[in-house]
Amino acid sequence: MAVLNRMDWYDLARSTNWTPKYVAEDELFPPKLSGEFGLPLTAWEEYDEPYKQTYPEYVKVQREKDAGAYSVKAALERSRIFENADPGWKSVMKAHYGAIARGEYAAASAEARMMRFSKAPGMRNMATLGCMDEIRHGQMQLYFPHEHVAKDRQMDWAFKAYDTNEWAMIAARHFFDDIMMTRDAISVSIMLTFSFETGFTNMQFLGLAADAAEAGDHTFANLISSIQTDESRHAQIGGPALKVLIANGQKQEAQKRVDIALWGAWKLFSVLTGPIMDYYTPLEHRKQSFKEFMEEWIVAQFERALTDMGLDLPWYWDIFLKDLSETHHGMHMGSYYWRPTVWWNPSAGITPAERDWLEEKYPGWNDTWGQCWDVIIDNVVDGNMAKAYPETLPYVCNMCQLPILGTPGKGWNVKDYPLEYQGRLYHFGSEVDRWVFEQEPERYAGHLSIVDRFLAGMIQPMNLEGALAYMNIGPGECGDDAHNYAWAEVYRALRAERKAV
Amino acid sequence: MALFPLTSNFEGDFVLQLVPVDTENTMDEVAAAAAVHSVGRRVRDRPGHILRVRRQGSEAFLPRDMKVAEAGFMPTETVEIIWQAPAA
Repeated sequence: MAVLNRMDWYDLARSTNWTPKYVAEDELFPPKLSGEFGLPLTAWEEYDEPYKQTYPEYVKVQREKDAGAYSVKAALERSRIFENADPGWKSVMKAHYGAIARGEYAAASAEARMMRFSKAPGMRNMATLGCMDEIRHGQMQLYFPHEHVAKDRQMDWAFKAYDTNEWAMIAARHFFDDIMMTRDAISVSIMLTFSFETGFTNMQFLGLAADAAEAGDHTFANLISSIQTDESRHAQIGGPALKVLIANGQKQEAQKRVDIALWGAWKLFSVLTGPIMDYYTPLEHRKQSFKEFMEEWIVAQFERALTDMGLDLPWYWDIFLKDLSETHHGMHMGSYYWRPTVWWNPSAGITPAERDWLEEKYPGWNDTWGQCWDVIIDNVVDGNMAKAYPETLPYVCNMCQLPILGTPGKGWNVKDYPLEYQGRLYHFGSEVDRWVFEQEPERYAGHLSIVDRFLAGMIQPMNLEGALAYMNIGPGECGDDAHNYAWAEVYRALRAERKAV
Repeated sequence: MALFPLTSNFEGDFVLQLVPVDTENTMDEVAAAAAVHSVGRRVRDRPGHILRVRRQGSEAFLPRDMKVAEAGFMPTETVEIIWQAPAA
């Protein structure tokens, strides 16, 4: 029997809406879960997914992808790449797995919400495949690091991170809870797939795949490239939903969701990917600076995507463009200075050659960030290590949950963005973080940041030991300098040279 | 006397930090408490300078001997700690 071409039957087969007779439409699709946009089923039937794939096709392609990634892993298991890798590269893997693996698994439930509760049949089909994608990503990114757990306790954070109160994980959870775990199906499609995945997972997975291949870690490069092929498909779930909303007079609500999610994604990636690309990746393996990568892959892509969709650029676009040169330097300095509180070993990345690169990519770096690093370097070179570690907490933002920071040194512009709401003083790292809070204060007001928890007496004893215990950072898991301060030798030699002259 | 949390925004540093002070502390003591977490860690000392405290957004420094209890701060309010050059 001849088999019909896919496009001859796809639209009909996935048009699975019907007129409910035994229950009201709102009972079949509760607005809280399906989206409170007031649009009937018929409006959502206009949803036209750009990526049409059937289940048999999906299974065939996914099987091939899995076979590819797993066979590379099996072939390279004895290659001792992990043992011989630059410590900065190991930190990249640890940060990535901890921050991403279980988040992907959680994303399966967000996809499942679209699969069940979206009124758009096309979205339900795409999300069915997307849900299986996310389960695969969770499983792979737990299985691949597992071979290293026996070699390095910090690798255990691939699984453990999301169960802890480690500060960066509180930030990650706060963001993902906001955009995907506690939103209706349509909002998930806009906030998770369109706003977060379209651009930012591209950056993490494409950028990192290039760096991994350069670093000789072909297992990791293949793994994340394999994942990215799924992401680029299911990231397209949100676009057609935006079109339906705009066509039905809901542009403002759609725009708001994009603006909220894009900003949160940017902040999270400024701490996760920024330091990795500009400080941890060995200098000789760097392809592009974080800023260059952001400008090429995120800025250009979003400007095009938003315009094509009929949306506006977020109102804060100029702030965002300016922050591309600044925020991640602070996130790096923060995670380095507070390094006992992370599950990887931050690479300082500030040898004279690396500083030259930073100055070239970010003119003025030496007069700003460099001034703070000069003091840190002197303390390390002098063996004054007590001053090279913190004795208090950085103040964190009540929205992104990340340190409130700005440019130091000669360009000092650090600023708090406070807001008093119902008798409590909230602090934000930017005008945008505060704006997000103001859109729906009751949604966020009850959350306690790590600093709020400290002040509420939830962290005992009130010192580093108590903070590490609260953050579930066990012995052997505390971060420290990735290269055990070997970089300080360069500065010692420079000092000796200067003395000799 | 009571423990009172303030947020330090120290001139030249890159991040806000939590600084516990006492309601009886003077502004000079607040500045010194904030300096512990910035000067010699990420900000170079400036010999001869003194450190002054002001509210964010204000150009005017609070009197050096003013007590925390008298300043009317909210708990965790952000104060700027600014280097002041010695009088010529």
